[in-house]
Amino acid sequence: MARATIRNHIRRLRFEAGEMTQQALADQVGCTRQTIIVLEQERYVPSLALAMRVARAFGRTVDDVFELIED
Amino acid sequence: MSVIFWSILALALVPAAAAVATIHSRSIAPPLVMPPGEVFPTTSLQRLVRWSLALGLVPLAVAGGLVAWFGPTAFSDDDAVRLWATGLLLASVLALAAPTVLAGVWARRDDDKLDERDRAILARAPAGQAAAMLVLLAIWMIALTETFRGEPGIPAVFVNLIFWSCLTVGLLASNVGMLLSYRGS
Repeated sequence: MARATIRNHIRRLRFEAGEMTQQALADQVGCTRQTIIVLEQERYVPSLALAMRVARAFGRTVDDVFELIED
Repeated sequence: MSVIFWSILALALVPAAAAVATIHSRSIAPPLVMPPGEVFPTTSLQRLVRWSLALGLVPLAVAGGLVAWFGPTAFSDDDAVRLWATGLLLASVLALAAPTVLAGVWARRDDDKLDERDRAILARAPAGQAAAMLVLLAIWMIALTETFRGEPGIPAVFVNLIFWSCLTVGLLASNVGMLLSYRGS
């Protein structure tokens, strides 16, 4: 099976949401600021629950926030 | 070859393996970019592991120094050396086991201190323990076989030392594994 990469638009969506801070997003979705940083830099793939919480925090769907790139 | 030589070799192998693992994890993961003037924040578990290593390595080094200075047989022959070394090793084990024990308590309480990434790192932490302990046992086996070749037996004190070294190296590997996971993932 081909390898896949998960890309995300969290950084852009934070700025579009009134320059929401990483800490504010972390508090809203129930994780640490470090997790938001590594998520934004695509060093960590979140669980489905966290991905859905992040999408909900921006009022978007999971597909709007996360993107599956087939290599 | 003396036991001291093999002990030093064993002690040198652990940081060497950690360094190789760190370089490898850095080479596969892109570097983290932080805005100028900002530092990468640390998590509660990460701070706990750092404190645990700082507090656990001091008594471990002193205990190792005592055994090396007075010789391994002093551990069984000299009550003072045995008591001091055992006390220091116990203190080291308590400090090094603290992250696993406290993180377990935080996880049971469903505390905000741990998020899903912390839990994933905690679950992966024992991965390096088996390898570290196997390497250590191999070193002990080579060292004792070479040192006591031609002798009828190996002094029973080495069973004690093998136990303590496996226990502390297992805990060390778990803690170092957690810190490396924070860098790599």
